[in-house]
Amino acid sequence: MKKIGLFVLGFILFLGPFSIAMAQQPTICAIHPFTGRFAFAGIEGSVAMQDVVDMANEAGGINGKKIQYYWADGEYKDDVAIAAFKRLYAQHTPQIMFGQSTGMTKALGPEIKDRYKVLYSAYTMTSEAANPKENPYLFIAAPTYTEQVGVLLKYIAKEKPGANVAFFYSDTEFGREPILASREMCKKLGLNLVAEEVSQVGGVDISTQVLDMKAKKVDYCIFHGYVSNPIAAVIKQSKDYGLNAKFMGTFWSTELQLLKELGPLADEYVGVSAYSFYYMEENPMIKKIRDWTKKKYPKVEYRSQSYMEVFITTHLFVESFKRADKMKGGITGDNLVKALQSIKNFDVGGLMPPVTIKNNSIPVGRVYRGNSKTMRFDPISDWIRLD
Amino acid sequence: MRCGDFKENYIKDEEIFPSRFVKFWLALFFIFLIIFPFIANAYMLYITNMIGFAVIGAIGLNLLTGFTGQISLGHAAFIGVGAYTSAILITRYGVSFWLSIPLAGLVSALAGLVIGIPSLRVKGLYLCIATLAAQFIFGFIFVHWESMTKGITGIHIPPPMIGSFKFDTEKNFYWITLVFVVLGVGYARNLVRSKMGRAFVAIRDRDLAAEIMGINLFRYKLTAFAISSFYAGVSGALWVSFLKVVIPEHFPFMLCIQYLAMVIVGGLGSVIGSIFGAIFMTLVPELLNVLSDVVRSYTPGMGKLIIPFKQVVFGFLIVSFLIFEPRGLAELWNRIKKFFTLWPFSY
Repeated sequence: MKKIGLFVLGFILFLGPFSIAMAQQPTICAIHPFTGRFAFAGIEGSVAMQDVVDMANEAGGINGKKIQYYWADGEYKDDVAIAAFKRLYAQHTPQIMFGQSTGMTKALGPEIKDRYKVLYSAYTMTSEAANPKENPYLFIAAPTYTEQVGVLLKYIAKEKPGANVAFFYSDTEFGREPILASREMCKKLGLNLVAEEVSQVGGVDISTQVLDMKAKKVDYCIFHGYVSNPIAAVIKQSKDYGLNAKFMGTFWSTELQLLKELGPLADEYVGVSAYSFYYMEENPMIKKIRDWTKKKYPKVEYRSQSYMEVFITTHLFVESFKRADKMKGGITGDNLVKALQSIKNFDVGGLMPPVTIKNNSIPVGRVYRGNSKTMRFDPISDWIRLD
Repeated sequence: MRCGDFKENYIKDEEIFPSRFVKFWLALFFIFLIIFPFIANAYMLYITNMIGFAVIGAIGLNLLTGFTGQISLGHAAFIGVGAYTSAILITRYGVSFWLSIPLAGLVSALAGLVIGIPSLRVKGLYLCIATLAAQFIFGFIFVHWESMTKGITGIHIPPPMIGSFKFDTEKNFYWITLVFVVLGVGYARNLVRSKMGRAFVAIRDRDLAAEIMGINLFRYKLTAFAISSFYAGVSGALWVSFLKVVIPEHFPFMLCIQYLAMVIVGGLGSVIGSIFGAIFMTLVPELLNVLSDVVRSYTPGMGKLIIPFKQVVFGFLIVSFLIFEPRGLAELWNRIKKFFTLWPFSY
């Protein structure tokens, strides 16, 4: 009993006094999905954030002040992530927070606005985080999911006007996010939305959906809400069943892992992303990341798109810190929002085109096609601005 | 000096506060609960609120599963029904939060009554599957009845108010949670020593024998479902008002499993077991998180190994409890209590 008492006391003491000590330091706290279904992104993302913070601190920090960075595992569960958010906030009183999911972002949005007043971004690309009127403190360093589907629909409308389109999405909040707005966009672009297929995430039987798409003579199938499975299975079965559709996907499924799963069918897949890939060395920022990785993690051969997303987000956090620090009142949530929104044509070394924050997002994307020979994505469009 | 715990009649045996000693410690515990929000930070209060909602929900499930023996895999759905009812009543019809909570419980109880109907024909694993249907049916409704639930966008809920006082922080909401937990625990504790409570236990132990004794199975089984769902509904309504948002993904199937784990680890057929189970399942993962953060800070670069390990430890703790004390934390508590009650003649 005595030991338990001591542990509880230690716990209270551990949580209590931190908030006072760290108040004035530029501080970022993050909740990464280090375990759970989204761990592939969380592990990479946590490294990306640490790398940017280390790079910035090595370069002198924020006008001489070192950036503090703390993170916790959100397990890709909303309740765990919200608890972690509150724990980190109580311990470190950060001015910037980074979250893990759409659900977490939606749940915390009102409180961030009314109470915490911290600049916030997350792995998600939900429209809710790109709505400065409703959620002024939230932003995403990418186009929203709706905008990503928009890029693909525009591409289809240009390639085959009046084509038959199908949406294939996961039965999750993440999967359903862009569907409503994308239906409207199909109408506007004169595309026929002939099918909407819904499935669970992971290795599920999708033959019913494939047969349905065949019956409806689908020309283009857009996936959303998946990372890899069941995309590869759908494409492979479609070939077996004689469905000659083209397959496309949004950010989270535009990753080399999917091409490996597709093998010789990799050429059939087109994806959209807001970032350059790790192998595009011609971009100075990619080269910088590669050199850093080589120096710090010699065994690592590739950095994923989730790394790029968190890298650019943290890069913008650092820039916002620098700008806010020069404002009256210093580094506060409100000043950070103003600083972020003042970013225009900000050069990020080709990781993405020069950044201009609009509606608390960066509405720009590029269409990539899989290459079965190199097992890489090759750009088939220039950067497309969506504003 | 005491050397045994002797009761001379049934009334004494059923007393909630059997001795001055119990009353004293309970009073001390209440004083602590009142002081707690003034000494705790926002994170600790957040966890305490979450424990409170889990306690209410777990008591509901324990009344159904632990006391009446009806296994339910639809508890998350009933929590969701309560949550959405409250959110819709507050935001769409302007009903006050205070009225929306009992109404949410009632709508949830109604849903429980409907889903509980198969319990009259099936039991055990078959009932499990029948109640699982609730999870899928209501899960579908939460997503697709967009005109009411706003689908995946969810509903933002304003904080509860009394006059101009807003319950918009963990500290302020703590008082609401505390009141409902006390009411929920008090009612359940009284219920289980009433005629209805004894009927529940008789049904659990042998429903055929219970029916021969004159217990109306139809009435009591459905009542158990209704009361359990009422608790779930209240828990859900409080939870989403605390979070200020409700989305379909708040009520996954895993939530049902989590609640079942709470009542099993805490102790089936025990009100205090539900409390222990809720505390264990909510607090232990958080303590492990804090612990892994501390260990990580002393071992830089080991995060990849340490973070997933906490889940292994949590799983190991659950299994250990089930192996070493299958009757749950409540039994462990009873043994500790008996040891001190009869000390130094505990044998």
